[in-house]
This record gives sequence, C-alpha cells and structure tokens, in this order.
Amino acid sequence: MDISFALTGKGYVLVAADTTAARSIIKMKSDEDKIKVLSPHLLMAFSGEPGDTVNFAEYVERNLRLYHIRHTYPLRPASAASWIRRSLAESLRSRSPYSVNLLLGGYDTATHTPELYWVDYLGTMTSVPFGAHGYGSYFALSLLDRYHDPEAGLEEGLAALRRCIDEVSKRLVVSPGKYKVKVVDKDGVREIEL
Amino acid sequence: MSRSYDRALTVFSPDGHLFQVEYALEAVKKGTCAVGLRGKDVVVLGVEKKSVLQLQDPRTVRKVAMLDDHICLAFAGLNADGRVLIDKARVECQSHRLTVEDPVTVEYITRHIAGIQQKYTQSGGVRPFGVSTLIVGFDPNDTRPRLYQTEPGGTYSAWKANAIGRSSKTVREFLEKNHKDDLSRDETIKLTIKSLLEVVQTGAKNIEINIMESYGKITALEQSEIEAAVQEIEREKEAEAERKRSRLAATAAGQAAMSQAVPGQ
Amino acid sequence: MNSFADRFSTTGTAVEQRRIKEYVADEEDVSDSMWGSEAGFGTIAHGTPNFMVPTVPDPSAFLRLHTDDHADPSCRIKIKHGTTTLAFRYQGGVIVAVDSRATAGSYVASGTVKKVIEINPYLLGTMAGGAADCQYWETYLGMQCRLHELRNRERISVAAASKYLSNLVYNYKGMGLSMGTMICGWDKTGPAIFYVDSDGTRLKGDLFSVGSGSTFAYGVLDQGYRWDLTDEEAQELGRRGIYAAGHRDAFSGNTINLYHVQQQGWKFIGNYDVSEMHYNGPTGTAGYGYGVRVEGRSSANPPA
Repeated sequence: MDISFALTGKGYVLVAADTTAARSIIKMKSDEDKIKVLSPHLLMAFSGEPGDTVNFAEYVERNLRLYHIRHTYPLRPASAASWIRRSLAESLRSRSPYSVNLLLGGYDTATHTPELYWVDYLGTMTSVPFGAHGYGSYFALSLLDRYHDPEAGLEEGLAALRRCIDEVSKRLVVSPGKYKVKVVDKDGVREIEL
Repeated sequence: MSRSYDRALTVFSPDGHLFQVEYALEAVKKGTCAVGLRGKDVVVLGVEKKSVLQLQDPRTVRKVAMLDDHICLAFAGLNADGRVLIDKARVECQSHRLTVEDPVTVEYITRHIAGIQQKYTQSGGVRPFGVSTLIVGFDPNDTRPRLYQTEPGGTYSAWKANAIGRSSKTVREFLEKNHKDDLSRDETIKLTIKSLLEVVQTGAKNIEINIMESYGKITALEQSEIEAAVQEIEREKEAEAERKRSRLAATAAGQAAMSQAVPGQ
Repeated sequence: MNSFADRFSTTGTAVEQRRIKEYVADEEDVSDSMWGSEAGFGTIAHGTPNFMVPTVPDPSAFLRLHTDDHADPSCRIKIKHGTTTLAFRYQGGVIVAVDSRATAGSYVASGTVKKVIEINPYLLGTMAGGAADCQYWETYLGMQCRLHELRNRERISVAAASKYLSNLVYNYKGMGLSMGTMICGWDKTGPAIFYVDSDGTRLKGDLFSVGSGSTFAYGVLDQGYRWDLTDEEAQELGRRGIYAAGHRDAFSGNTINLYHVQQQGWKFIGNYDVSEMHYNGPTGTAGYGYGVRVEGRSSANPPA
C-alpha cells in the first residue's frame, strides 16, 4: 500500500513517500517517516513488508554511519547503492529475505551530480531520472515520462511531484492522505512542506 | 570447533599471577604516553606522538580515534592491537544505537572494551591485548565530562586525570600534585601539555591535543597553538627558576650576613 | 570424524555437535573475521536473543496445521484470540484500558483475563493476539528490563524496551507468533507508547488500539481525544473506548481494566463490568448505553 516517488532535477533529487502505517483496514499512524537520511547527502525511501522495511533501513543506516566513522568520509551514492543492493541480494538468498523496495536519492559531492537509484526486493538496481514504487508507479511513470525535465529547478520539480500526488489522489481507490517530501542537493538533506 | 582443542595461553602461575597479562602491561609501558584530564565542563586528551620517519606520512599514524560522535579514545601500547580494539568499539557504538535507539554512554563503551580485553585473558589460543586505553566523552543529555581507563586485564575505572604508557607514573604523580577540581578550558589544556612535557623531551612537535567541550563538539589543537602553550609554560618555568634562584641567593646572602654578624658580637 | 563429508552432512554426530554449539550461542566467538574489517562494514545485527524452535521441517506450517481454527474448526489447539486493548498519551501521562474476555473459536473461555502485563513499576504491556505468546514474551521482556537496570544503573527507556521486544518477535517472523501489543511507560523523555506486533512493526504514537474490537474503540477514542484532557476525562475516555468495543464486538467484553501511567509509575485505577457500565456507568448515575442515554427521547414529530 505504500507509495513513493522520486525525481531528479538540476542539482537535486526529490524523494516523496506517503506517511500512513496501516494494518489490515486500520490506519495505525498517519505521520510515519518512510524516508531515511543515510548520510549527509543520501536519502532512502523504503516500502514493502511491515517490519522488514524499518529493520532493513535502520540496518543500512548504522552500517553506512559505521563506514563514515571508520573512513572519515561517507560512501558516495553509487557505492552506497551498490552495497545496499548487494545486502538485499544476499538477504534474498537467505532463510528469511527482506521484502523491501527502495528509492535511493543522493548527491555526489565529488562530481556535483544528483543520482537516483531504483532498487527492488529482488536486488534489481537501476539508475533512473525518476522512479516510483507501489500503486503510485502505475500513474506516475507515464506522467513523468511526459512532464519530467532533467534541468528543472526546484520549484518546477516540486510542481511535477505535485502532479503525481494529485493524480494518485484523484484516481487511486485507497489513496493515502499525506506525503513527506525530502530533497538532497549540494547543501545536504532537508525536508520540504508541499 | 577447533577452539575446544586449543589450550589457554593465559594460565595462572603458582603464586596467582597471570604472566601474559603482566607482560601485556609491560608492552603498554613501552608505548607512547597518553594523558587525559577532566576540567569543569571540558575533557582533554593529550598524546605523545612518535616522531615519524622522514618519508612517512604522519597522518597515517594515529593514537586517538573517534568511536562515535561523542566519544574519543586514546591508547598506549601495541598499535595493531589498538586498531582492532577501536574497530570493535566502533561497531558496538552503532550496534547500540541500532538496538536501543540511544547513543552509548561513556561508561557503557568503556565496560564493553574492558569486557573484550578480559575475554582475551580467559580464552583459548589467544593472547591479551597489549594496550591500555583512555576513553573520554560526554553522555547523551548530560554536561559532565567523563574520563575512563581500561587495562589489558580488563579492569576499568573512572578518573579526574590519568596517564598511560611510557613514564605514566611520573605524569600521574605530576597530575596528583597539580590537578585541581573545576579547571577552566584553558587551564585544563595547559595542565595537559605541562604534564606531557614532563616526559616528552622534544616539545610541541611531538604532542597532539584533542579537546571535547560538549556532546559531539571535539577540536584538535593546531600545532602553532601547542607551540605557543609550550613556550608560555617554558617562560613560566624560567621565571619560577629565576625566582627560586634569587630567593636562594637572598637566603644565602642573609645567612652570610648572619654568620658575619655572629663573630662580630 | 572431521572429514569433509562430515562437516557438510545433515545427519550424524558432527551435526549433533554443531547444533549443540549453536544452542550454546557463543555470542562473539574468536574467529577469523575479528582481525579484518569486512571491507568497512560490520555485523552490527547481534545482541538480539535467539531461542530453540521445534525440530520439524517447517515449524510455522506445523503450527498452522494444528492451530488454525478459522480454516479447520476441529483443529487440535485453539489459540485464544479476540480482544480490545487501547492506550493513549495525554498531558497527564498514559491511559491503558483493556477488556477481559478470552475466546477460543466461538467459546468464551474466560471473562476474567488480565490483559495488561505489568512488566515493571514503570512499564506496562498490553495483550492482543495469542495470549500465551504475549504473556510469555512480555514476562521475558520484564526480566531483560531488570537486567538492563542492573547492568546500566538506569531504568530502560520505553523505546529500548519496545525495540527489544520487536527485535525478538522479528527473529521469529513467519514462524507463527501472534502478538499485537502496546508497550507503555514513563522514562526520561516523559510518557511514551510503542505499538509492537508480530510482523515486527514498531510504531511510536499518541493513540493506539489493538484487537478485534479496535475499530469500535477507535470510533469513540478519536472523537473524544484531546492532548489537554484532565485525568478524570482521560480515564473516562479509556473506559468508554473499551465499553464500546465490549458492546459491539462479540469477542470482547466482560470487564474493563484501567491503568494510569504517571511519572512515579503506573497505577491500577479499577475493574469495571461492561454490563454495569452499559446500564449505570462508573458512578451508578449515567449509563454508557445508547438506550440508556436516549431514554424518553423520540424522533417522532407529530403535528402539534
């Protein structure tokens, strides 16, 4: 039921995820943060099996922090994404695999490029200009094919994101109410009120 | 599996000593000196740096390491053993955050490190860590600076000020004489450098100072700042010696006058 | 004995030894990996408990076969299900209220179950789902909390306690545990509630209700909830929440147990009969029931 979107623009990546935590027909919580800040320039939106999601996200968070402390510098987005993908792929072949889908948004401070990776629970990883997970992807992908601009400024990017969210609210039967939006750019990570 | 066939290397001697642990302490005494000092709301770590070889990169020889945002560790003894211990402690810091959702307290990580060291005195096929450590930092949501020490045997204890490594006894005695409660930031730094100078003959260029002022706020003193402090200390020492000398001269003169006066009586 | 075949076989003495060694659970063995740094990443995920599971090929399938009263009403073991529990945080602390009915299938097995588990003087856990699972693991959690206290000279935080439980049940994910619990308490950060279930979900929040009657409880709770409730209002809201579920949900009812958590620890407020609440209310003057509330009122609108 979780819905998440992400898109790149000129020098930034926008990541959005809904904030509902549901159990059968009941919303247990409506302000759950499903986007983890992994390092000063790295964001991860996670969705999938309840329990697995938070557990995996926290595991990744602590490991990347450990890497940062051990080596003084954090992993760059591409390397972090590779490590995360591999963790998922290894877990897939274990006795109890993690069923978690991810959108990884990062800003590479060395090359000054925003990077976005789409990762699923099978360990598929691909670098994309925009991506989505959950039922939202059925609406948003075609929409972004039409409206995404890799050179869009932050305001334009947010407008495209708003289109996605509005479309889901309009057409999806069980659409979530609220979204949390975070952006990562050269200055790091911050949250944005839509 | 094979572990069960191994023999412990650390076994009691007939008079109740663990020689391997005592040898480890000897290894610590051979290591360069490290000093920790607790002030009113600051804690300072000072270490004696070995002079590196001419072509060596000094940045790759480190005796002080951050364990987490708020905890710093200095060790004396075998560098390689220290590195392994630091790594284990770093993993534990993150593991603690993962399972308890709180950062570790200084005492907790000290106890953990001491626990590892103890384990290596009671396991088969291993030798003890040849390092003593000084662990400084602040507990989460607390303003009191903390200083702990661990030893190869796995003992740990809290201190106001302490030294480990080469000539640590001299430094500790110096600290015992000169340490006062509630030192200010500058006084703490100065006393740290002063105590290190007791054993570091080469002066500022072989001293490294790290200051932790509050949770997560840590700074290293610049080489020039250390030099300035060392010079100031030397000037003071000079002045003190000068005063002593003149006082001695005065008393000598006084005595001479007295002794002259006596026969005149 | 130590041949290659022995090491990788699944029967025989070597396996037996291997299994024993696993059970002995040498937390951090002296292994090769301790010298290296695993390329900058650590095996951080230790420190969670591990216990034995039955030695059948698929423990969860085995359990399901004998306990699923929904699919097979004649199954051997009927696990006690059906509950309403609620907890909410407000200005004056935490209110915890639960019903006391235990059902096994359509049979009311007991009407006097204690569904609030007193973990320690500052922590409460509620019980929904498998009664045995909740009772056992929350008591076990109580032991671990006490050990934490002894080791760290400090009470465990609600966050840490709930996380311990959630990591624990997460280790058994897919093996048939069934729990939906709220860990409530007061620590350095003030009052706190965490919802933990056997999926491994753990949520921090202000207001939760769990169990088959939770929807009914939510209906009353959400409408009456404010942060600045007085203690009396809050206790009344808790009672009314459980009453509503006890009235509408066949699997909940009998009596209400009400607790209040404050800075100095939890306090048991009282046990209230649902029928008594329906007709007379807690003070014996105003019943909660619809019929009681609207007695004598009519929607008939005859011309004057």
